[in-house]
Order: sequence, then structure tokens, then C-alpha cells
Amino acid sequence: MTYFILRRTLGFIGTLFAVSIVVFATMNILPGDPAMSILGLEATEDALAALREDLGLNAPVHIRYVEWITGAFVGDFGTSHSFRVPVSELIGERLGMTISLAVAGMLLTLVLALSLGIFAASKHRQIGDWGVMFLSQLGIAVPAFWLSILLVLLFAVKLRWLPPGGFAGWDDPVAAMRSLILPTVALALVQSSVLARVTRSSALEVMRQDFTRTARASGLSQRRILWRHVLPNALVPIVTIVGMQFAALVTGTIVIENVFYLPGLGRLIFQSISNRDLPTVQALVMLFAAIVVTANFIVDLLYVVIDPRLKARQ
Amino acid sequence: MTRLPANFLLGAVLVSLMVGLAALSLVWTPHDPTALDIRNKFADPSMTNWLGTDKLGRDVVSQLMLGARNSMTVALVAVLMGGSIGVVLGLLAAGIGGWVEDLVMRLADLSFAFPALLFAIMLAAVFGPSLSNAVFAIAFINIPIFARVTRASANQIWTRDYVMAARAAGMGTFAISRDHILPNIAAAIIVQATIEFAVAILAEAALSYLGLGAQPPAASWGRMLSEAQTLMYLAPELAIYPGLCIVAAVLGFGLLGDGLRDITDPRLVRER
Amino acid sequence: MIELDTLSVTFAAGSALRDISLKIAPGDRLGIVGESGSGKSLLASCLMGMAPDAATLSGTLTIDGVDMSDADEETWRPLRARRVAMIFQEPMSALNPLRRVGDTVAEPLRLHFGLSRDEAAKRVAELFAEVDLPNPERRARMFPHELSGGQRQRVLIALALACDPALLIADEPTTALDANVALQVTDLLVDLSEKRGMALVLISHDLASVARSTERVAVMYGGDIVERGGTDDVLHAPQHPYTQGLLAARPDPQAALRDEQGKRKRLPTIPGNVPPLSGLAQGCRFAGRCALERPDCATARPVPHGPRMLLCPVVEGAA
Repeated sequence: MTYFILRRTLGFIGTLFAVSIVVFATMNILPGDPAMSILGLEATEDALAALREDLGLNAPVHIRYVEWITGAFVGDFGTSHSFRVPVSELIGERLGMTISLAVAGMLLTLVLALSLGIFAASKHRQIGDWGVMFLSQLGIAVPAFWLSILLVLLFAVKLRWLPPGGFAGWDDPVAAMRSLILPTVALALVQSSVLARVTRSSALEVMRQDFTRTARASGLSQRRILWRHVLPNALVPIVTIVGMQFAALVTGTIVIENVFYLPGLGRLIFQSISNRDLPTVQALVMLFAAIVVTANFIVDLLYVVIDPRLKARQ
Repeated sequence: MTRLPANFLLGAVLVSLMVGLAALSLVWTPHDPTALDIRNKFADPSMTNWLGTDKLGRDVVSQLMLGARNSMTVALVAVLMGGSIGVVLGLLAAGIGGWVEDLVMRLADLSFAFPALLFAIMLAAVFGPSLSNAVFAIAFINIPIFARVTRASANQIWTRDYVMAARAAGMGTFAISRDHILPNIAAAIIVQATIEFAVAILAEAALSYLGLGAQPPAASWGRMLSEAQTLMYLAPELAIYPGLCIVAAVLGFGLLGDGLRDITDPRLVRER
Repeated sequence: MIELDTLSVTFAAGSALRDISLKIAPGDRLGIVGESGSGKSLLASCLMGMAPDAATLSGTLTIDGVDMSDADEETWRPLRARRVAMIFQEPMSALNPLRRVGDTVAEPLRLHFGLSRDEAAKRVAELFAEVDLPNPERRARMFPHELSGGQRQRVLIALALACDPALLIADEPTTALDANVALQVTDLLVDLSEKRGMALVLISHDLASVARSTERVAVMYGGDIVERGGTDDVLHAPQHPYTQGLLAARPDPQAALRDEQGKRKRLPTIPGNVPPLSGLAQGCRFAGRCALERPDCATARPVPHGPRMLLCPVVEGAA
């Protein structure tokens, strides 16, 4: 087991390292002059030279990479070109929004998907099963941003129950929560469609196994068998998907924050793109990729917690 | 001949509809989709403008048809590009094995850290946003997906007796991959391509919605939606039609892919 | 205690159990033998109220005087484990792999008797000791994959005994086990039945273990009980042609493997196979494989007769 965890940890560090190289290479080696793309074609040669010096573009690529990655290690991503403040400060101010959105979205996804998936499996080949399968098939095909627009049309424009977008800060917690309801639902509905299907098929497979019959013969209720015996055994494939879904959710926040005008990292990325603020974009892309990789790493570790048989295996 | 599965039939109908619209837009649209007619803006559906007009008086139906063409083209190019690279890598990995296989699979693992959106963001930051960057980003995420499916299916074929026989007869890795492996895994690849087509349509719509894909005045369902969002109080119906088109297209290719999988082999190698 | 009267089970494809009448009294030890497909496992699941959803039941099944033939899941649930318990063929897969076996056995105790965690753990240790699991407290903390097949089957027996059932049904409990372990498990079941005064229904195709552990036996074929009686009587002097065939097909370890010419002797077998549900005859279901068959056997429904309730119109039932 220690060996397993050690190997996975090494793999995780290696992947992060490789990801940082890819991000740096894409942003720095691809043809194109960052100074020119920041200042525009009509910039003077002097201004370009000054900016190149400012961005440290005159140093060799590998030196710049080492500087960037060592800085990133201690949370120093350089200075934002457009905001004139450290990138880490920009990220710090907005991280809370993105994380709350992703975590709330994940929790709602889990609740929805596990209940619907287990429900569908328990009603296998009945109306309930067909209903869940149909809705989830539809849910997979619906783009999250369009679902957001529909939710806004219904709950903000028509019914006027919830704000259509924007965020006034956490000072008024109730208002803040109200602003986050629609974004969270929009994020979760699409993701839970995928997860509900995985949960259903995984649960169906477990329900065919002998120990569910043993549990039934012990006089346990259907409910108890489903939630206490079937679900834990169905979790291994579910957890795999959840890891990927958390990644999808985190990148999904980029889209959703832009639909609802929420001040998170996703908005920041787009502001930085339009401001040609390369250091900020580079830091943010690295951060998002790191979150994706970390989510998958945690999933790997979770297997060991879920399945005692893995502990025995080398 | 067994009965075709329902998901295949429904998928085929939706796909033919969307492909038909896209093809038709090449030769005919009800109106010039880019012709402005400010006096006739936000027109209600009528005999001339079946679904009305947008804020600049452009015909919605014509724009939707152009959007279909845009979606299909992007998906086709991206899946073909990413798919062919991925298939070649997968065949190499399965055929040569050893460190080549390890390397290809490591790279495939690595690329999962970059969803299409992140990749498109990087490209947009360096080159500025454009439809071709969106296509590259979508093509890129297709590479590892196809590489994995191809390798998994190909590895199974490599153990077959007739492949062993071909190898024993002195046939080379590349010739075997081309003559024996590829034809036998074609079904799996086509199924995957159909499903990835749906994913690509969805990705293009999201990227164009965010301004990272099709640029004005090019028509795209995603871009139509981002325009419509700013006018939600004035003309909410404009935010409905493009979304319905996206759902129909994505659902169509998704169902068609599932249906094809059921038809070709119920126990096909499944990549997740 | 448990009484079946002309219980029949029908699927869309055909009838799977036909007019089964059976009485099980406290302390009885009954063997049910037959080939796979004879309906013996289905009969067992009927006794637990666990027949497949697609099955239609007719006739009556009474437990403790209550008619259970139309009972729903909620009516059955309190009876399971407390009145009727069951152990299954595959000890490998019959235990939840993610749970410590002690927790699996404790679950019905806590659920049905409301025992606390500590009380349940104490009871589990007692049960494990009763089924001869060495070092019970340590075993209780193990996961199924850490136990051998025989140990797992003992855990399943402990689970079945947990709520003091009046009847224990063992469906092929030893098929998946090594021969000597199988013998120990069978003997354990007999011991427990004697000590606790618990009725035992042993379902098996292994005639030796049935002979060793039961007092009465019912022979099943194609959804019928074709012959029944004292285990010794039936197995030593089979009357139904099917029972005779079954006994003759049994390898005898004492018999010579080769005949006088040194050729390998072939075991006598019953010609043909068990027909599928849809192919079962209206009359005697053994028709088509039977040496004594008469022209009307396949169509005329046989009537059980004689002390052994023999289901054969050809053979005269004798005591």
C-alpha cells in the first residue's frame, strides 16, 4: 500500500512538472512576439524593446522557465501586466468564488446523481428508470451555458425570483447565496446527467452479485441494501468519473462565471486575454491544469480507502 | 437483418436533419444571412422570416442554417485531424509496444490535464481568438482519446491467430497494422468518432459563446447565444432557437454513436 | 411449521415448479436432490419469498400458519433471517467484499434485535465460535478476501444462524469447496440442527452429503417431486426410474475403473438432457429419457401414489 501511494505521488509530481512545461512552452515558444501582441502592431520599436526587457523576454527560454517555476512554487507568478499588481494577489481575491462554485456544484452533482442513479437502478426496466435515462441523455446534450441562459430566462427574467447575474460580495450572505444558486444548478445539472448514468450502470452490475442476495436473505430492506451494500461497491467506477467531473466542473466555472458575470478566476482569465496579460493567463492556465491533475491524483488515493482489497495487492 | 435500435434511428433522423440543413445552406438560405435590415429588427415569426429577425434585422432561420454548417465543419475538421493523428499514434503504440507504447500512453495521460477550453485559452492568449484556434484546440483533445481507443482495440487484434500468422510469414509491423489491424478496429473508431463529433459540436458552441471561436460576423450557434443573452429582456426567444439546434445536433450524434456501438458489437472495447 | 400445498411456479416460458406439496416440521432434516434445472433452487427461493419477479405463484405456502403465497416484500422481510434463513452456493461472492465479515453478521442482529454495537460484536464472536471459526474476534475484523472458502462458508452459516431461524436452507453449500472441507461443513450443519432443534433443508446434487446429513429426502426432476421418503430407504432402494438413474450415474470409489479386458469402464448415464422449460411435457417430465416409458407417459399427468408419493404411472409404489 505504501508502495502504491509512493508510486502515485511520484507520478503526480511528474505530471505536474510535465504540465508546467507544456503550459510554459505553449505560451513562450510558439511563434509570436508577446510584446507585439500586448502592444499591438503599431507599437514603436523602442516601446517593444522596453516591454520585452520588462517581461524578462531577453533571457534564454530555459532560464525563464526555471525562474517562473521556482517562483510559482512559492506562490509568485510575477506581476500582472494590465492590473499592475502581483498575479498571486489577483488570484487570491478571486479564488474563493471559483472554489465555492466548484465545490457547491460538485456536492449538488453528487446528491442528484447518486440518488437518481440508484433510483433508476432500483426501478430497472420500469418507468422511473426510463425517465432518468431519458432526462440524463438530454442533460448530456445541453450546453451548460445555454442551460444557464434558460434558467436566467425562467427564474430571473420571468419569475424574478433570483438575480440574473452579478455578485455583490459576501457582506450580505443571503444575497451572495442567492446569486450563486442558478450558477450552481447550471453546473450541476449537466454533470449529474453523466454521473447518474455511471451510477446506474455500476449499481446494476453490483446488484447482480451474490452478496446483495445474501443481504436480502438477511431480512434487510431494499433501501438499506441499495445505500449500504450496493452503493459502496458501485463507488469505484463512480469515483473515477467524479475525479474527471471535478476537473470538468472547475473548467466549467470558467464558462459559468462568464455567463453570470461572477468575479472569479474564469472572469479573470477572459479579462486577461482581452488585456493581453500573458503572465496572468499563464498562471491561471497552470492553476486550472494543476487542479485537474490533483483531482485525478486524489481519486487514485481514494480507491485505496474504498476498496480494502487494493491494500492487500501490491 | 435484426431491427435497428431506437437510439440509432432517432440519432440518424436528427443527424440527417442537421447535416441536411448545413448542406442546404451551401446553395440556398431563405434570406442572405448577413443582410442587415435595421427597420425590420426583432421581427416576429412571419411568412417571410419564419423565426423572425435579430437585433440587426437578420433572418434567424438563415443564420441557424449557417450555424449548422459552421458546427458540422468545425466538428468534421477537428475530429478528422485529431482522430487521424490519434489513430496513427494508437496503431504505433500497439504495433511497436515497449517504450513507444509507454511514451504514447504517458502523453495521452498528460493531455487529459488540458480540457479543450484551457487549450483554446492558451492559443487565444498567444495568437488572439479565432475559429481556427478553436478547431486546433478541439482537434488536440481528440488525439489522446483516439490514441487510447485505437491502442486498446488494436492490442486485442494483435493477439489473433491470423495476425500471428502474418507476422510469422515475415510481414512487417506497419503492413500488418495497415492490412489487418486497421480494418478490424474500424468499427470501434467510427463509433468513437461519432460520439466525439457530438463532443466537438458542444465544445465549438461553448468556445464561440465565450468569444474564443467564430468571430463576428460569422454565424455560429454559440455566438448567436452570446448575442441573445444581452437581449434577454427584449427578445428571449432568440436565446432559445440556437440552443435547441445545439441540443438536437449533440443528441443526434450521441444517439447515433450509441446506436452504432450497439449494432457493431455489444461487447466492443469500451473506452469508459 | 412450513407447509406447501400444490405450490406451482410459472414463467412466461413455461412451468418451473408443479404442484409441490411439502411439510417441514421443527427439527426436520430434509434433503432435496436433483440435477441443475430441476427447480430445487427455485423451490428454496420460494421458501424465502425471493422468487424472481417474473415468476407467477399458485397454490399455498404457509409459514407458522400464515399464508404467505401472496405476501409482499414487507411481509416477508421480518421472517427472513428470523424464521427462515438461507446460505448459498458461492461463498466467494456471497459476502460484501468491502465489509468486515463481523459487521456483515452483526447487521441483521442490530437491525432485527436492536442490539448495540458491543452486544452485537459479542454475539458475533459467540456465533463464530459456534461455527468453529478459530480466533473469532480476530476473524470478525477480517475482510472476505482474507478468508478461505471454507471459512467464508462458516461466516455465512454464522450469518444465517444470527437471528435463531427455525429453518435453515442450504443451497448447494459445499459445491464450491474442497472435498474434505465440504464434509466438515456438512457435518457442522447437522450438528447445529441437532443442537438448536433447527430444521434443515439441504439442497444438493451430491447424494453422499445428503445421505450423511438428512433423515428424509425428496427427489426433484423438471419441477416435480418424483419420489420422497426416508433418506436411507430412497437411496438404497430407489423406485422411480429417474432416482434409479441418478444413483446409477454416481461414481463408486470402490468399483474397479477398468473392466476385465482392461478397458476404462464408462459410468452409466441417463440418456438425454434435462429439457428446457418450454420443452417440458404435459405428462411425466422424465418421458423421453425413461427406459420404462409407455406411449401415454408424455401426455397423461401422473398422480403421486404410494408411501413414497411416487410420480410414475408405471412403477408400483411399495413401502
